Amino acid sequence: MSVKIEVGAGGIPHNQILIYGLVGSLVLIYLTYLNTYFQTEYFAFFGGLAAVVALLWGTDTIKHLCSYGLGTGVPSAGMIALGSGVVAALFGATTGPFAPIVTIIIAAIIGAVAGLMANAVVRMDIPVMVVSLIELAIVGAMTVLGLAAMACGTFEFLGMITGTVTFLGFTMLTYETSVIGGGIIAVIFMLGAIAIQHPFNACLGPGEQQDRTLMLAAECGFLSMIPVAIISFAFIGAYAALIALVISIIGWLYTYQQYIELSKRDAYAWLDAQPIMEPEEGGA
Amino acid sequence: MEEIVFGIGITALAGALATVAGAAEDTESDIGSQGDPNSQVQLAPQMGYIHRIFNKAVAGEPPAYGLWVALGAGLAWAFMAMQINPILAIVLGSALAVFVQGVYATTAYLGRTASLAKFGQPVYIDILKSMTTVTMAHAFVAIFTTVAMCHLMISALGHPFPLPLLGLVWGIALGAAGSATGNPFYGKERQYQEQKFGAGVPISASGNIVRYAEAGQRNSLDNGFFSAKLGGPASGICFGLIVFFELWRTVVFEELNIWGPIIVGVVVILIFAIIDRYIEVWARKNFGPYTTPEEASS
Repeated sequence: MSVKIEVGAGGIPHNQILIYGLVGSLVLIYLTYLNTYFQTEYFAFFGGLAAVVALLWGTDTIKHLCSYGLGTGVPSAGMIALGSGVVAALFGATTGPFAPIVTIIIAAIIGAVAGLMANAVVRMDIPVMVVSLIELAIVGAMTVLGLAAMACGTFEFLGMITGTVTFLGFTMLTYETSVIGGGIIAVIFMLGAIAIQHPFNACLGPGEQQDRTLMLAAECGFLSMIPVAIISFAFIGAYAALIALVISIIGWLYTYQQYIELSKRDAYAWLDAQPIMEPEEGGA
Repeated sequence: MEEIVFGIGITALAGALATVAGAAEDTESDIGSQGDPNSQVQLAPQMGYIHRIFNKAVAGEPPAYGLWVALGAGLAWAFMAMQINPILAIVLGSALAVFVQGVYATTAYLGRTASLAKFGQPVYIDILKSMTTVTMAHAFVAIFTTVAMCHLMISALGHPFPLPLLGLVWGIALGAAGSATGNPFYGKERQYQEQKFGAGVPISASGNIVRYAEAGQRNSLDNGFFSAKLGGPASGICFGLIVFFELWRTVVFEELNIWGPIIVGVVVILIFAIIDRYIEVWARKNFGPYTTPEEASS
């Protein structure tokens, strides 16, 4: 299982995407801290943008990892990424303002352990396994932290486990109506896990092109932002959530339309209500 | 006693919802060639068999339905937290989850087909337009019934999990039931009608799926009709029984002993294993080319 197949050669080198993804998602997550600084909620949408950047990087990592003949393993790679990531993100969130940095470190450790297990114990012997799983765990953690920050306006643990409920005119703090207590973290987990594996899973094949796959990754990221923005109406102010929703919808419309254009460019033919075009040498 | 009777009523209602969910789920995934049948639909153009079948591989069905149902439940939960009536909240949540499902379906078809350009497989836009909407409609039924079932478990049976988490668990179970029960009807038999019944898929026949219908060319709506007849109801019974027995054993036997439901669960699994084995042996004896080696070669 360690024969490397070149998929979609060319394009932006992976290390460049790695650096942009890591720095970009870190900076964007820290921009949500402006909420705490200015005591508002309007900057929550930066969390979603951090998730989009992280997903772009994660998609390229999955492409590298899965070029070692892991066809059906593409969705599994997304699951392990977010599975490692959600643990790291929840642990990191307890460390206050240092949360994103601690999250990255913890995710790297979890990813390394998972990678070493896969190579040494399960004996998959894939050269890039350890590095890829470290990257995927960080991507998963940043996605969870970013989308959770988008839903409740902060990446700090206390904000994720307290929600407000209005009862007979009194506002009370409860655990049940929070991001973690209400189970919204499970929705974020699945949104991230499907969004990270979908771009490469959907575009794999001999005609895979990096720009099309990455455009789909951005589209999946913005698409995941839309439900999180709607859920955030339950946690943050209506105007802040509305800003997040509008940004998600604009980003999604743009990337979706670009993705369709790129698919049109790469497709063999773009037909509407036409019969099967049998190949000339006769397949059937 | 009244509590148990009420619990059994809720259990029956949840089982009925689950049956509808399973049937809709399998029909949806078969129209999209998701899960079991997908590898052959994906392979066919590479072997020279250009087809007009929808190919929307979002992920395996369990993770995909884990997302759709968890998303529907999460949005419904958020709407309920905003003081919206639960029924309206579940409808709105399911509708938004179906929107996400539809977008994923279109990008999957476009991506997979565009990457097969080398083999001359064109993108048929009419497939995208007509079949995505049909899968979305079926997905709505599956998501709505499953989220409604999860809401019943919480509000009527007092399940301690929050709605989105319960949605995730039952969504994965729903996808697994449809994937394991209904898909082989389409993936192993209908795609290979030209092969001998029960012969499996020999390597020489890989990718040689049925591409022409009774009249004209087969598309995935034909597979929808087929799935609604066999695979869908089978998946529905499967998922309905899973939900029914899961709740029934807890509702009825928890009062007697805390270990009661666990013991009953093990007994139910054993009974079903015996029934399944009996049906399998009976079917092998009566159908298919592999009863004995001599018959297999004839």
